[in-house]
Amino acid sequence: MRITEAIIVLLYLLFMIGIGLYFYRRARSSSSDYYTAGSNINTFVGAFAIAAAVASSSSLMGAVGSGVTLGLPYFFAYAFGAIGILPFAMFLISGQVRRAGVKTMPDFFDQRFGRSVQILSAIIVVLAMTFYMVPQLTASGLIGSYVLGIDYIWAVIILGLGFTIYAALGGMWAITYTDLFQGAIMLLGVMVLAMFILFDHSGIFTLLNDALAVDPNFGDVTQPWMAYFGLFIAFLWFGIISPSVVMRNFASRDAKTARRSSMWGTLIYLLLFLSGMVVAMAGASLGIADQLENADMIFVSVIEHYLPPIVGGIMLAGLLASIMSSADAMLLAVSAGVAYDIYKKNINKDASERLITLLSLIVMLVASVAGILVAINPPQLIAIMVGWVGGFLLSSFGIPFVLGIWWKRANKQGAFAGMLGGAVVFLILVSLQLLPTNAEPIIAAPVSLILTVGVSLMTAPPSREIQDQVDRYHTHIEAEAKAKAAVTQPEGYGYDTDR
Amino acid sequence: MTQRSKFKDPGFILAIVVLLYSAFVWIWWPHETYVAGVALTAWLMLAGIILWFILAVVYVFWIEHVEKSVKEETERRDMHENN
Repeated sequence: MRITEAIIVLLYLLFMIGIGLYFYRRARSSSSDYYTAGSNINTFVGAFAIAAAVASSSSLMGAVGSGVTLGLPYFFAYAFGAIGILPFAMFLISGQVRRAGVKTMPDFFDQRFGRSVQILSAIIVVLAMTFYMVPQLTASGLIGSYVLGIDYIWAVIILGLGFTIYAALGGMWAITYTDLFQGAIMLLGVMVLAMFILFDHSGIFTLLNDALAVDPNFGDVTQPWMAYFGLFIAFLWFGIISPSVVMRNFASRDAKTARRSSMWGTLIYLLLFLSGMVVAMAGASLGIADQLENADMIFVSVIEHYLPPIVGGIMLAGLLASIMSSADAMLLAVSAGVAYDIYKKNINKDASERLITLLSLIVMLVASVAGILVAINPPQLIAIMVGWVGGFLLSSFGIPFVLGIWWKRANKQGAFAGMLGGAVVFLILVSLQLLPTNAEPIIAAPVSLILTVGVSLMTAPPSREIQDQVDRYHTHIEAEAKAKAAVTQPEGYGYDTDR
Repeated sequence: MTQRSKFKDPGFILAIVVLLYSAFVWIWWPHETYVAGVALTAWLMLAGIILWFILAVVYVFWIEHVEKSVKEETERRDMHENN
């Protein structure tokens, strides 16, 4: 066991659980508080929270690990898509979805397309977000076993249950405020690490030359073009199709705050990736990629090589922060999918707020256990697993979501066909392994597009009421009061009949 | 309700910019040209991530300008109707 690092990491975990306990009472008071922190988060907190939600274990450990193994262009393909997440979501959906006044993604599908599309999207959210726990748990297991000197499996179980506890207890309040600390620790940690590395190598160009001297292929494109392109589109669309990111958008106080949070969040994420680039170069210069049991451990090796134990402990806490801040948002999306989108809206409309938040808490624990069971024997590299989740979400509801906002003619039948068809084609391509890894959405997303547009045009257009609603998404008039009222009274703006 | 063309929406226009730059990189894909030992394609992607942040800043200020003008226009019309 690494005593200094272990003490810092354990103190950090206790602190996060303390925040969960602190917000427990406030979060249980209403589902609005639980899922969207009462829509009351300011720009500063929101920027760190949304950056922390986007930056998962994959952005640090995964991107660096795959960058060292597959070359610097692969790292940049990852960053090229990932840093576009927040701006692209702002351009295409954020303002419109806020004006819709919904609080979860399936809620939007209900409002725009009706109950059947909402249920299908909720099932997809639950499946994808539960699987998304796996790379996060894998990363926490790798770090935990390294720091605490315990078996990987025990590390997955202990840390997995740790972040489930505070997320389950405190809902979005705890998640947002823990994310403020986690985002700050993550950013400071990786920037300090980058500075140590640059100082040690006397600058970025020397560092790059050192990396190329050890690994002459480090600057090469080593994979088929499709592998890079598939990863890029899966990530570029991630802010649009990831329920955990979209839900952050609703937690902001108003539209202006949401936009500015996303803008500063983009800068934080950019700084994180530029520092990650330095770490990847340092990892390549160490020349140890072939000796490691798991390529994703390169990040930890760089920490161990360049930082003294106490700073290394803080950086490892930062890595855990990146994992926890994303995993908790995923847990919240899963629990909202089951407790609110499926149970409250379809099974028991009269369920009390306390029952819904209690059910959410139970769902989080179940999803966490499911994720832990798969993470005990993870199927792939972290970056590849995250690429699968992004690709699956893009292939299933990326197209119906964007067309639902921008194209009045899109209807329920088209959205349902596009969602189901894209999801099925993606899963078939992944299981058959016919394409380069992460290239599946290159085929599956166009299938979803063709089905959504084709079936919509072959069936009756949506009602005038729905078409007017689509126009309202684009008015640029912020009905904040209406949106807030709708959030606290969600059944008030839902549609009771399937369209 | 104030109706604006979706094609003039800042988000729509900036999304097109993102797609155009992305198309430029992915279609050209200069993976056999090297700059400082790294494929040019990687440097183009690095330029792209800086561009994404610049576009985010442009969007925030542009949309605030649009919202302000829409609000003023709505207030002016309401006042005119009341009179």
